Amino acid sequence: MSDYIPMQAEIIDIDIESSNTYLISLKILEDIDFCYRPGQFVMVSVFGLGECPISITSSPTRKTLQLCVRRAGRITNGIMDCLVGDIIGIRGPCGNGFPLEIMKKNIIIAGGGSGFATLRSLVNYIVDQRSKFGNVAVAYGARTRRDLYFMQEYKGWQQAGVDVGITVDIGDESWKGDIGLVTSLIDKFKLPQGSAAICGPPIMINAVATKLMDRGFDHSDIFVSLERHMKCGVGKCEHCMIGPYHACKDGPVFSYDKVKKLL
Amino acid sequence: MIVFLAKDKLPALLSELNEMLEVVAPVRIGNDTAFATWVGQPIDFEKNPQISPTEFLLPQREVLFKYIQHSGRYVFEEVEPKSKLILGMRPCDLNAVKVLDKIFGTEPFDKLYFRRRRSAILAVLNCSKPEETCFCSHLGAGPECIDGFDLLFTELDSGYLIESGSSVGMLILKEHSDLFQEVKSVYLAEKNERISKAKETLNSRPNLSKDKIMGALETADWESMGNNCLSCGGCTFVCPICHCFNILDLGVPDGERLRCRDSCILSGFSRMAGGVNPRKSAGERIRNWYFDKFQFIPENTGLLGCVGCGRCISVCLASMDRWSLKVPR
Ligand SMILES: Cc1cc2nc3c(=O)[nH]c(=O)nc-3n(C[C@H](O)[C@H](O)[C@H](O)COP(=O)(O)OP(=O)(O)OC[C@H]3O[C@@H](n4cnc5c(N)ncnc54)[C@H](O)[C@@H]3O)c2cc1C
Ligand code: SF4
Ligand code: SF4
Repeated sequence: MSDYIPMQAEIIDIDIESSNTYLISLKILEDIDFCYRPGQFVMVSVFGLGECPISITSSPTRKTLQLCVRRAGRITNGIMDCLVGDIIGIRGPCGNGFPLEIMKKNIIIAGGGSGFATLRSLVNYIVDQRSKFGNVAVAYGARTRRDLYFMQEYKGWQQAGVDVGITVDIGDESWKGDIGLVTSLIDKFKLPQGSAAICGPPIMINAVATKLMDRGFDHSDIFVSLERHMKCGVGKCEHCMIGPYHACKDGPVFSYDKVKKLL
Repeated sequence: MIVFLAKDKLPALLSELNEMLEVVAPVRIGNDTAFATWVGQPIDFEKNPQISPTEFLLPQREVLFKYIQHSGRYVFEEVEPKSKLILGMRPCDLNAVKVLDKIFGTEPFDKLYFRRRRSAILAVLNCSKPEETCFCSHLGAGPECIDGFDLLFTELDSGYLIESGSSVGMLILKEHSDLFQEVKSVYLAEKNERISKAKETLNSRPNLSKDKIMGALETADWESMGNNCLSCGGCTFVCPICHCFNILDLGVPDGERLRCRDSCILSGFSRMAGGVNPRKSAGERIRNWYFDKFQFIPENTGLLGCVGCGRCISVCLASMDRWSLKVPR
């Protein structure tokens, strides 16, 4: 059977994260052990509309496979218009994921906007195996309070001994927390040197990486998850080329020294 | 094994082969020559068709699979490609196939490509008639074919020398031996003479070696090139090595998932949700096209991403002076 044929998965739960973003839980209907690592993604099919890349937002340490989908166009609309019980297609896991085997024990995780979906997998992975890691901090920024994802989980992360900083670009009277860029949160953390995992718009990635390097992080210890247009997810269709790399296969996670010049 | 086939016996050979396989060959269509399924048309070895025969390995449009809804779930069906013999592919295009084999052969192996590739018998034609835009000899991709073929034809005045390069090729020659004649030494001399002449023609053209092109890439004015380019994508659609594709669905609730050729020159190719586009300008896209062929594909496969077939030159609506990387005034 060709690798382009997806597995079938049933939608077993839908949670609303924000007005345009749903958290979708899936049950794979095939008799396989679906193993993945934080930072990987799947190609999601809605038959008749097509296929698009979506990060796995759940942690492999937990039972349910989850995707966090934001309305962007035809296919994402198609996924979000599905109901509990509907069948979608899943191909993957695709990409490399975060290289936990070479990452330091002290980790800072920085996300901007919808890019935080892929980082949640890593956060929960660490929280579930807290003793294997050292100092861990999460810095997350969104446009407004209403655009923040996974709000009900921050407390649990803090209780597990993870520093959590949340900021919004535009505050309002209901927001008591920080206002400003993700970079400003990083100033607040008393972080020993270690590794970093970043996902967000290119400007945010560069700003955070630069700040961390000022704080003594080595550029090869900073791992960024990049978004590119993708069609095949297996390094053949060339949509996701970044210089000689394919974001879908060699990435989406790259060490910053590798891609700094290509961003 | 090497045999001689008189010119008037070629249709008989193709008819016999046609009984077992689909024969694809360059045939006249109006004033043009194109690779098409052979059903008795006259063969035209004079021109190298604008659309390369790699089209039969990676078609403009192919069905990845069919999806059929069945009691709330889906069943998937795949389509088996028919066995083919591709006749008249020139050495440049065979070298392009070698690059495609590497690209689709790196992990994860593209089963669909190789299903077609394995069921295709390649009957290559040594090139004695380079087109005006060809520069294969500068990149070591022609005009003579050395290996990788099943059968190798060389056109002579009175017929064709046919050599086998694989066990499949040898079987074909043995099976149809009643059509062939013995090879005389004058035929071999004629072959060599024809190939030397083609080499001479090609080598007398401006030097377009890899180093020369790489040098030009360093100093190219991408912005002006981009301003000149019409972003029609022609150069990518005719290239035997270009292989970008799109995947899309046709039909609800049952239908086909298709793989269609796409082009990195088109403005929407790398655009993402939210409008972010890593290669916004035509200049950036052309630059990527060149660097892919001369740096990225070589880094990833060990082979050049260009075989000097010249098609991108003859197709360009903007008449870009492609390889000197100068913008026409
Ligand atoms: C590695 C990776 C992980 C991702 N993770 C998530 C996630 O967890 N949640 C989420 O909501 N989104 C995620 N995305 C983005 C998501 O893939 C796009 O929003 C989606 O492909 C848009 O498709 P569409 O049919 O809904 O939009 P369309 O109607 O096709 O188009 C809307 C816009 O999206 C662009 N686009 C179309 N197809 C793709 C594609 N295959 N890849 C990128 N851009 C495309 C179009 O050029 C257009 O500008 C991820 C993307 C990548 C590359
Ligand atoms: S880049 Fe141009 S000359 Fe080179 S193989 Fe492609 S079409 Fe032929
Ligand atoms: S064929 Fe010429 S005009 Fe068309 S996209 Fe290529 S370079 Fe541009």
